[in-house]
Amino acid sequence: MDEENGDRSAAPTMNRRCVLQSAAWMGGAIATGIGSWVIPPKWASAATPIKVGIATDLTGAIGYAGNANANVAKMVVKDINNAGGILGRPIQLFIEDTASNESVAVANVRKLIQRDKVDVVLGGITSSMRNAIKDVIVARGKTLYIYPQLYEGRECTPYIFCTGPTPAQQCDEFIPWLMKNGGKRFALPAANYVWPHILNEYARKVIEKNGGEVIFEEYYPLDQVEYSAPVNKIMTNNVDVVFTTVISPGVGPFFKQLYEAGFQKRGGGLSCVYYDENTLNINAPYEIEGLASCLDYFRAVTRDDPVSARIQAEYDKEFPGKILFSAGSAATGMYRGLKLWEVAVKEAGKLDRDAVAAALDHAKIFEGPGGPAEMVPGKRHCKMKMYTAVAKEGNYEILARSEGLVDPKEC
Amino acid sequence: METALNATFEVLSFGAIIVLVVLGLGIVASMMGIFNFAHGEFVLLGAYTTYLVYSAGLPVWAGMLVAPVVVAACGFVLERLVIRRFYATPIAAMLATYALGLVIRESVRGLIGGLYVSVPEPLVGSLIIGGVRLPKWRLAIVIITALVMVGSYLLLARTSFGLRVRAALENPSLARASGISTNAIYAATFTFGAALAGLAGALVVPLFSLSADLGVRFLIQGFLAVMLGGVGTFEGPVAGGALIGVMSAALPWAVAPVLADVLVFVIAIAFVKFRPGGLIAARRL
Repeated sequence: MDEENGDRSAAPTMNRRCVLQSAAWMGGAIATGIGSWVIPPKWASAATPIKVGIATDLTGAIGYAGNANANVAKMVVKDINNAGGILGRPIQLFIEDTASNESVAVANVRKLIQRDKVDVVLGGITSSMRNAIKDVIVARGKTLYIYPQLYEGRECTPYIFCTGPTPAQQCDEFIPWLMKNGGKRFALPAANYVWPHILNEYARKVIEKNGGEVIFEEYYPLDQVEYSAPVNKIMTNNVDVVFTTVISPGVGPFFKQLYEAGFQKRGGGLSCVYYDENTLNINAPYEIEGLASCLDYFRAVTRDDPVSARIQAEYDKEFPGKILFSAGSAATGMYRGLKLWEVAVKEAGKLDRDAVAAALDHAKIFEGPGGPAEMVPGKRHCKMKMYTAVAKEGNYEILARSEGLVDPKEC
Repeated sequence: METALNATFEVLSFGAIIVLVVLGLGIVASMMGIFNFAHGEFVLLGAYTTYLVYSAGLPVWAGMLVAPVVVAACGFVLERLVIRRFYATPIAAMLATYALGLVIRESVRGLIGGLYVSVPEPLVGSLIIGGVRLPKWRLAIVIITALVMVGSYLLLARTSFGLRVRAALENPSLARASGISTNAIYAATFTFGAALAGLAGALVVPLFSLSADLGVRFLIQGFLAVMLGGVGTFEGPVAGGALIGVMSAALPWAVAPVLADVLVFVIAIAFVKFRPGGLIAARRL
């Protein structure tokens, strides 16, 4: 009872400042249209604010990932503003919904470029989204673009900087580890779109270079939910390691059928490189016991990395609920992207695109989720630490970590 | 030999799943002349109800018992509020049900945070008979599907309620003149179809995990099944469902999976070209 009263008195009462703040927010929302959010800095200065645009999937099929990206951006920008902004100027955040739909996205991103005239755009989660919006941003928009998601690589367009892991980063250390802990006979069941095709091309090279063998590589329609045929192939060909890139909705039934067929029971190793905390709940924990993944961050890293622990705690405090801070949904890439860009702008001393791009080309941060990160000069991709984690009773346990920062080997 | 038997069971069980999903859709399409585009979302609602009951700490099977009732109630309310206004215009009815489906799907997406959630099977593990591995829950689905199918058939073909349903479809004015409230019959039929969808969702959610798009995939396969089987009979959509399910599960054993997906459609369309009425065209029952 007491607690309830305490809560009530602590609740913000309506005062002039509060009204003004919400009026400003509402005004922004109305002026910018549906699907747009403008978050003004808490302080203003004589200098005009720096405008950061976030284009991400707040709604639609991958809304859970897009919202995590927007949350991270709000958190990082708040921190930067609290620390005095960049070049003495506060940052104003413009968030546009790309709605998991490329045609909606192009129109909304155009708003960021043409109406809001942002200084940089971060966002896009799927490769198809990046391809849809990149031209609007860098070619016609003459703006810098930072892409935060793990992806298949090969994005070498000038002024596009990628801060998520590439196939090399996800395979170079992980596949030898899988071979040591699972075996040499690999199966590559995959969803039929660009990321699995190019990732598997790279994975096959690493497998064969290390003396392994790819028993089969097969692609399924994105919405296939029945996997008895591939599961049978895996079982009858004595496959040691399943390295899968099947995505939802298929991945849950696939793992279930594999488990029912007794793959893990006979010692088979399961791996899936986009598996993070968000995907753990697709299956019952026993069905994916022992599943290995390789990403730039897992929540389990916070146990022995104080910087990751601090970032994770800050996120959890500001955004409690179902939208998780995880590597598979580009949230960590978003963090790195914003921080690297901050460093670059500070070095360049101005917001001119070429000057910032030149500084971003070799930008480094010493603190980030999972560890430090640095851009590889001339490559516009990011070196970072990589972790190999295994699912144990519904949580991850880190079993291996890269010595230093892993090279993206792109461009 | 064992592989062949295993394959047969897997193919059969997926066939049963599609039949289960198609049953409600087929009954509403055949007995009311309405293509319910929200059917996939009724399946989703059944799955979601099961998940809610389970996450409240009750056993999964309790959720599966509650789900058809809850979805039937939703179906009844929607029929009274929306669907009944569109009986004269089946095309507009498709749009209306599509809109309803969209609202349900996006609401569920919001409620579960856009993620995939696993719901455990009430029966875990497999029976191994003569080297053939039969996952218990898939076996249970095959049996329940058979029972529901027979039950629905008897209800429509052998009871006086079934007779009135068919009368209301054949000749609504004559049915009304004979003292049958077609209004009430339509409401009851739609509610029944929704209950079947709810049951289907509840039974299949342990296999496919709960997500907002659970119903979408089944909707497309369901329509293909109804088209292939023929509208107007009870057996048509069921036979179509069985055929589509068996084809989509069996073809990947023989050809590349990406090709198999397309092949199912090609075969279905070619078939309808030569037999426009579908597998079972006559209006008997």
